[in-house]
Amino acid sequence: MSAQEPEVEEKQQWEEELARVGLVRRLLRARRWYGADWWFVAISGVMVLGFLIVAFLPGLFARYAPDQQVGPRFLAPGAHPAVPILVAASGSGLVNLEDLAVGPDAEVSRPKVAVVRGLPTAGALRERAQVIDDQLQVTGDLRLRPSIERYDTLDEALQAVADGDVVAAVVGSDLFDADAAKFPTLAAGNDITGEQAAAGGFLLGTNQIGQDLFSRLVWGTRVALLIGFASAGVALVAGVPLGLIAGYAGGKLDRLLTLLMDSLYAFPGLILAIAITAVLGPSILNVIVAIAVLYVPTYYRIVRGQTLSVKEDVYVEAAQSIGATSGSILRRYIYPNVIPSISIIFSVNIADAILTGAGLSFLGLGLPPNTADWGIDVARGQEFIQSAWWLVTFPGLAIMMVVLAFTMMGEGLTEILNPKLRDR
Amino acid sequence: MSSPLYSIRNLTVEYKTRTGPARAVDDISLDIMRGEILGLVGESGCGKSTLGKALMRLHTGPARITAGELWFNDENLMELSSRRMRQLRGSKLGMVFQDPMTSLNPVQRVVDHLTETMLTHEPEWTKKAARERAEELVERLGILPERIDDYPHQMSGGMRQRVMISLAIALNCDLVIADEPTTSLDVIVEAKFLDLLKELQRDFNLTILLITHNIGVVAEVADRVAVMYAGKLAEVGDTFEVFAAPQHPYTQGLLRSVPNIKLDGAELYKMEGTPPNLLHPPSGCRFHPRCPNVMDICSVQEPGFDPLHPGDPHRVACWLYEEQPVKVVGDV
Repeated sequence: MSAQEPEVEEKQQWEEELARVGLVRRLLRARRWYGADWWFVAISGVMVLGFLIVAFLPGLFARYAPDQQVGPRFLAPGAHPAVPILVAASGSGLVNLEDLAVGPDAEVSRPKVAVVRGLPTAGALRERAQVIDDQLQVTGDLRLRPSIERYDTLDEALQAVADGDVVAAVVGSDLFDADAAKFPTLAAGNDITGEQAAAGGFLLGTNQIGQDLFSRLVWGTRVALLIGFASAGVALVAGVPLGLIAGYAGGKLDRLLTLLMDSLYAFPGLILAIAITAVLGPSILNVIVAIAVLYVPTYYRIVRGQTLSVKEDVYVEAAQSIGATSGSILRRYIYPNVIPSISIIFSVNIADAILTGAGLSFLGLGLPPNTADWGIDVARGQEFIQSAWWLVTFPGLAIMMVVLAFTMMGEGLTEILNPKLRDR
Repeated sequence: MSSPLYSIRNLTVEYKTRTGPARAVDDISLDIMRGEILGLVGESGCGKSTLGKALMRLHTGPARITAGELWFNDENLMELSSRRMRQLRGSKLGMVFQDPMTSLNPVQRVVDHLTETMLTHEPEWTKKAARERAEELVERLGILPERIDDYPHQMSGGMRQRVMISLAIALNCDLVIADEPTTSLDVIVEAKFLDLLKELQRDFNLTILLITHNIGVVAEVADRVAVMYAGKLAEVGDTFEVFAAPQHPYTQGLLRSVPNIKLDGAELYKMEGTPPNLLHPPSGCRFHPRCPNVMDICSVQEPGFDPLHPGDPHRVACWLYEEQPVKVVGDV
């Protein structure tokens, strides 16, 4: 009975704390309170894996090329693009434009079709009718030569159909959907263009130049992860050996390198990256280099510090006493004992690098302007934030998700790999 | 036990500190004879370990050998390049460290420690040959050969210490410096380890410098004993002789302060005072502030480190056994 008391007390304490704080802090402290480490790694692992799959196989997920105009501008997420459809009296059997075709013998082979003046539907109708007519002429028994009647308003055009003045009307699907309630006797037919391209719609809408936002996000994953992994990797490859050598050798070399790294570290990160990309010019490689330079000191400092402490351990002295060379001591004794902390920083650094990369392209630096990149999308969309909220929201969310995934993974790994840090 | 294997001549090791150099080893001369076990005893901080490391020139950071010669196999180690020195370490000079728990690399298998030692010095050996040799070696030391694929943390303290000594004898080192090898072992394991040490010494004709603060260990295994105090040697001699008739007041005090069941309730002897600060050592004999037999000359002039009788290997640094220079006495 008494043995259980402390546990009960502890539980009550965190429950109390839980009740006092808001949602955000609850999430942040979850792992300390409930020991939810594995979750962190599991969830973030699945997310990271997902982003990796998307980055490696963007073609599987994106329907359109990221840099081509594939639809109308500013289409809201989920909305179908307006297409010219055929509207006729319900029960008339007129669904497709082809249904208007009449036999070659009929003198009056010109069914009246209503359009609204000033809208592009008339042009679409004429073009499409010509195409169908040409096809029909080959077989020879039917023709399609509609006579186009123009009306000033949509209501007039639809009223004409309802009254039987014209056989059918061709109007934009969006306009008809909005107006359909007034004309219960009319029914919407099919898209007269017969093209299936736009039929699926745009999941996340389109941007101001008619590009599919979802496809851009999918292709942007590749750029984001490339920047993240490559720059964190380059920083690791440069920073770790420098830290090992400086920490192990000590003396003047150590002081010089530390001074250099500290001065790099003292710079505000984004400003340094801006300066470097401004000098190097826009290309993805230069962005990687600029961000890598930012993170070299992080690795250097951690590895140097660890090396300083590990090299005082008795087993390093023991290695010296068996005549091991400095290279062998660094490689086989110090480096393996320093790795755990490196893997944690690597994961967190990827997240940081992606964020910095997005920041750079948001500022219009670094990446060529036609690249499918989240930062560029946010930058372009901010102009239209009031009229087209999705242009900034979804790229922003994508950045947030990917950064969250990598940060969570780093944090989770910290706890699993380095349980001593748990109490901090 | 004839010729010296390793001769230390006027060795001085200094630690650089903010307040000036601290002489942890001060002008020490000592011969280690071929095939003997020499016990080096003293209080914590008297410079024993510093001396042990200096013998392999293993000093880093603030410690520096500032004077002296180290003659090993007719070579002065102080004049060797660091490359040649590295070749000697592990092949001719071996070291066993105090704490077997931390002296093996936690991320390396035991077998890798052993093969690394061999392959570093015998690059022409194949990995397989080195592994076979390692298996033989650990079996000789009473560890099952299949255990060499374990990581250090899977082994007990005694096993690890045996692995450490197998590192030192892997290539038949001439001199093994054992720096408090049994301090962190319990008494039963300690006794076994000491037996093993003696056995190895016989079988491999090892010369062992056994650094310890445990008088009992020295009495058990050492042929000769050297007593160190505040960076200086106080007394050197045959173990039996020194223990039977300690001459230096410090040695006498040290032996009296060992707990003994025969004391019969009488209070254990406590030496007066504390070990001196090596930054500002006392003038004259360093032991004089704590010495029960202190004389005027002790604080003025340092005693020589001379044989008790001419030609005697038993040597003591104390004015009690030396003729005092008349002039100095007159001044005081």
